[in-house]
Amino acid sequence: MSLLKKFRRKGAGKTVIIGLDGVPYSLLTDLMQKGYLKNMTSIFEQGHFAPLEVSIPEISSVSWSSFMTGTQPGEHGIFGFIDLVPETYQMTFPNFSNLQTRTLFDELGDRKKRSVVINLPSTYPAREIPGVLISGFVAIDINKAVYPRTLIPKLQEFNYYIDVDTKKGREDHDFLFRDLDRTLVGRELAAAYLWEQEDWDLFVLVITGTDRLLHFLWDAYGNANHPHHQNFIEYFEKVDGVVGRFYQRHTELSGFTDNRNHFLMLSDHGFTGIRSEVCLNRWLQENGFLSFTTDEPQSLEDIADGSKAFALDPSRIYINYEGRYPGGKVAPSDAAKIKERIASGLKNLVFEGAPVIQRVFDRDEIYYGPLVDRGPDIILLANPGFDLKGKVYSPTVFGRSVLQGMHTQKDAFLYSDKKKKVDNICQIKEIIMNDF
Amino acid sequence: MDEFKNRIDLSKVVIREALERFGRNLVIAWTGGKDSTLMLWLYQEVCRELSVTLPTCMFIDEGDSFEEILDFIDKVKRQWEVDVVTIQNADVSNKAKELGDIIRVSDLNSRNREELAKLDFNEENFPFEPESYVCNHLMKTAPMNLFIEERGVQAVSTAIRRDEQEARIEEEYFSPRQTPAHTRVHPMLHCSERDIWNMIHGNDIPFCSLYYQGYRSLGIRSNTTKNSVLPAWEQDLENTVEREGRGQEKEQIMAKLRDLGYM
Repeated sequence: MSLLKKFRRKGAGKTVIIGLDGVPYSLLTDLMQKGYLKNMTSIFEQGHFAPLEVSIPEISSVSWSSFMTGTQPGEHGIFGFIDLVPETYQMTFPNFSNLQTRTLFDELGDRKKRSVVINLPSTYPAREIPGVLISGFVAIDINKAVYPRTLIPKLQEFNYYIDVDTKKGREDHDFLFRDLDRTLVGRELAAAYLWEQEDWDLFVLVITGTDRLLHFLWDAYGNANHPHHQNFIEYFEKVDGVVGRFYQRHTELSGFTDNRNHFLMLSDHGFTGIRSEVCLNRWLQENGFLSFTTDEPQSLEDIADGSKAFALDPSRIYINYEGRYPGGKVAPSDAAKIKERIASGLKNLVFEGAPVIQRVFDRDEIYYGPLVDRGPDIILLANPGFDLKGKVYSPTVFGRSVLQGMHTQKDAFLYSDKKKKVDNICQIKEIIMNDF
Repeated sequence: MDEFKNRIDLSKVVIREALERFGRNLVIAWTGGKDSTLMLWLYQEVCRELSVTLPTCMFIDEGDSFEEILDFIDKVKRQWEVDVVTIQNADVSNKAKELGDIIRVSDLNSRNREELAKLDFNEENFPFEPESYVCNHLMKTAPMNLFIEERGVQAVSTAIRRDEQEARIEEEYFSPRQTPAHTRVHPMLHCSERDIWNMIHGNDIPFCSLYYQGYRSLGIRSNTTKNSVLPAWEQDLENTVEREGRGQEKEQIMAKLRDLGYM
């Protein structure tokens, strides 16, 4: 099969994309300057390596969805990890079946091109694509995370894990590093197997352990005396090892010397340290926009009638419109004033003298398309250090949890050996389509 | 309570001796059930005391396991960082789509045909009924024998107890077997079912959710039934586990999102 493959593919070019979830441009640059990540250092010498802006909100479900559809939530329909069942306050978790736009894998299929996609977040449950798909976060059941299903026994042989054990890993950091290693090993085995065995034109491999490490142990990065600083560096070196091996395979593809192939790397958002978490619903409560029917609300269904607004993860604010939500009493004519009060209140929010909010966006400033009406009315961008939370209830606006790192909307990265440049993650799909 | 503690200590004595005699050549037979999970936990405790590595575990996939057991094993194996090897008789299970399907002996590989010869089985075919004498041997004993031979295993530790079956009354803690030659180690022989649950609850040892639902003992799906709707240890515990598939997945998604701070 492989022999035939090499001869058959003589005219066509191949595209390889390695995603490193959550890895900042600044962190890679810093590590490379310090002499780490020798493979990436060498690879990035040719081509174009630059910062990338991503989706708003800057979370993986929205960002990777924007990557694979080439557009933004007003068209693809994924506004966050959590959404509400229309006309209710019931929580739902949008998944791959809720993506309303075709993906680049589907469109490549139209051109008879096959894709191998490994661990791409927001592709669960797996459905048929022209090629192979192994779903990434949030994927619960391996039996629903693989297309074609016949691949599942092989993945089990490789001890393939969809994700690290985040519950244990967030508390037990020694365990976290061992689990990160295990997960990376299985990921690489599966990817190497599919690289060889499958006929493909586009190969996408996403490593998500980086995001977990940055969430739980951001502090281990900057501080050389941190007990896990070495472990942190070692994990990134292992990731660099994986990148190096796949880049090597890429150079061995026919078409490499004629520059027919394309090697890209990217991340879906950046990371920085948390100064404070910020509970938006608590702020709305304290400022008279939101109240609940109980002292310790468990969900938005505990919202009290007459509330003006509420928040969903991480940075989305919804006006409690009459007709849109069961307890909503806000008339469209009152909305503008309420939004104005919320916007100016948040712009003035400070923590230890520092302003929390960088930008307040109105929906129509950043979303367009048939699905905008399903989206939030206000979307916030926080200043670095302020980790916005959409949780239902907190006794205080500001606080900390065990998390150390938060996402950033700028400072993701993009590398293209063909020197392709874009400003935003939703522009990458077009580049890929142009490869074919 | 003293007597109970003595019984658990005795299990640990057996385990200690087994590790000293067999070291890395011992495997732990783990089914995901309460007895073998407790046994595995006791091995962990003793290994920690002796500063030795936990032996490899062997899980036999008979092709008809409860999803809940497979999930439980997956979860615990990761949390406890246990090395688990799954063995199965694919040559047999590949030939049956459903329980009851007829399998022809001549279609089986030579190893399986030899195993059948050991049983003096002369028929041309047999139905795929996992609890039948023939299938039980082919699906459980045969792959274990192959595993023992291929890996040079000298001892297999299982969690059988005397109070489970009449036939087990004569069993010993260390019991030599033949073809292939190896020793069976039975650290839990003297424990009662009540001892097992007391130990599990007393030490917060995880167990499969099916026990909550009234299953006293977990075999393969097709022949395991519930005797009651009360949890296995017969206490009146609040049953808050969602049975329905979708409900469970939603809970798991929420848990994952919470771990990463999204909820």
